[in-house]
Amino acid sequence: MSEPLLVLDNVTKNYGAIEALKGISFSIGRGEVVALLGDNGAGKSTLVKIIAGGLEPTSGRMLFEGKEFLARSPAEAKAAGIETVYQDLSLCTNVDVVANFFMGREITRKVLGIPVLDERAMEVVVEKALASAGTRIPSLRTNVEHLSGGQRQAIELNRFVHWGGKLVLLDEPFAALGVEQTRRGLDMIRQVASQGIGVVIITHIMQQAFQVADRIVVIRQGVVAGDVARNKTSPDAVINMITGETLAGAGPGS
Amino acid sequence: MNPRTRHALEFVLDNLVWFMLLFVLVVFSIFIPNYFQLGIFANIIEASSVLGVMSIGLALVIIAGHMDLSVESVAALSAMAVGILFCSSGIGLGVQLHPEWLMVPVSLLLALAVGGLIGAFNGYLVVRVKMSAFIITLASYIWVRGLVLVISGGRSAQDLAPAIRWFGIQRLIGLPLTAWITIACFVVFSLIMAKTPFGRHLVMIGGNETATFRAGIRVNRNLIIAFVLAGAIAGLAGWLLAIRTSGATANLGVGLLFNAFAAVVIGGVSLKGGVGTLPGVYAGVLLLSAINTAINLMGLPANFTQVIHGLLVLAAVLLDAFKQTIRQRLA
Repeated sequence: MSEPLLVLDNVTKNYGAIEALKGISFSIGRGEVVALLGDNGAGKSTLVKIIAGGLEPTSGRMLFEGKEFLARSPAEAKAAGIETVYQDLSLCTNVDVVANFFMGREITRKVLGIPVLDERAMEVVVEKALASAGTRIPSLRTNVEHLSGGQRQAIELNRFVHWGGKLVLLDEPFAALGVEQTRRGLDMIRQVASQGIGVVIITHIMQQAFQVADRIVVIRQGVVAGDVARNKTSPDAVINMITGETLAGAGPGS
Repeated sequence: MNPRTRHALEFVLDNLVWFMLLFVLVVFSIFIPNYFQLGIFANIIEASSVLGVMSIGLALVIIAGHMDLSVESVAALSAMAVGILFCSSGIGLGVQLHPEWLMVPVSLLLALAVGGLIGAFNGYLVVRVKMSAFIITLASYIWVRGLVLVISGGRSAQDLAPAIRWFGIQRLIGLPLTAWITIACFVVFSLIMAKTPFGRHLVMIGGNETATFRAGIRVNRNLIIAFVLAGAIAGLAGWLLAIRTSGATANLGVGLLFNAFAAVVIGGVSLKGGVGTLPGVYAGVLLLSAINTAINLMGLPANFTQVIHGLLVLAAVLLDAFKQTIRQRLA
């Protein structure tokens, strides 16, 4: 296999005296879908934020495309080709669908040397992206605050499919979606991966992980408790990894 | 509901302040003798030029989700700086430059620089040191006004250099150049807010700062620019104020802040951030000015103005809530 897309090497994160991540090491290949599983508070979201540039690790290193990598801001991660869909939606509800789709990457044309938003060009792109994903939104010029939770999540998902990049991080992307939309979302993930983009998906739902992932990585109490290919494991085995083999360690504080 | 009525309704909602302004002007013209004259309308625009410019800066910062209470004092400080340098009596030093017109850009740059500096100071503390904009700019509101008192010693400067005053006297299509400057500012900043990435980003930052940060927008940089702009625009308001009064007094512009707030809120800007447009703010400014003029013409005691402005702000907030419910139905 060629060199992995992203390698995490003993990444740790401390909040004061609390060790949220005690040393995480794993890797993601190009076109590979990795499901990141773990109990609440296991450190999944922290890990995603570190890769996405929202947090800096306390120690450890990351290699992205074989080169030393550390994103100090989401802008740096994006520039490197890492797209993130967060658990709590990252939409500005006070502007319309098009503005959200292009947030921070607006298409502009120069008028007297001043960059001016090219609304029509952006609208065309959004229309095409949403149509190809089968998402129906009455008007692209409606402010997002007037859209349903499912429609909002669809916008976020379509956004990452459109921008792609090299690595996509999804933090519980299907929390607000219905059955049909979730199925379509999982299809989108496979489709994105087939273009050679690495995908990390955090989920609580075992079934989704087994539907979509090539590999399953389990995090427990800030360390990697399991890293297995999907076809070499079973939901029961994964649950054991998440809870720590026996149910004794599965309480809320663990 | 068919798309056409929906569009019409949305258009009315988006421009509600302008319809209110029109309504008020029609009502006043019918019921108040002598109101319906070009001179009166020109006066409404002219009288609102300082307030208008100040409201632009305030609106920018509020739309970006913050607050700038210091604009009034900043305008006063800029006016005082211009007054002290270029006035010939009172505490004015009567500085003369040759050629005379050179005093225009120099005084203007001075006013903008004074405002911009205080704006940068506010912005730095709010954005980098992460302190509440309300407290920081309240402090600036107080100490900048204090500085005005200190440098003037409580006295005033009179007789601004004629080359600068020319802007307040020279008229173009019935309006003094100062009023045209205000209109030009509204046009330019409306375009910036509506058509450029910078403006779009400010609106989105006001809506959801976390989302914009995650999307890779340089939130801190944009916010500091917004504060600097608010300060510089307040400086411009001070320059216009100095021209209007042909000098500067220590208590120049007291009370303008609350009028600017009223105009911004009436104009449809939400104090929660992310909502509002500058054309709306200009309509709010003109609405206040139209009502003031009506009160003057009716010969009511000027004290009524404040009561009416207060009620108008209340009405604007209620109207905003009402607009929200209608929009929800529309979607």
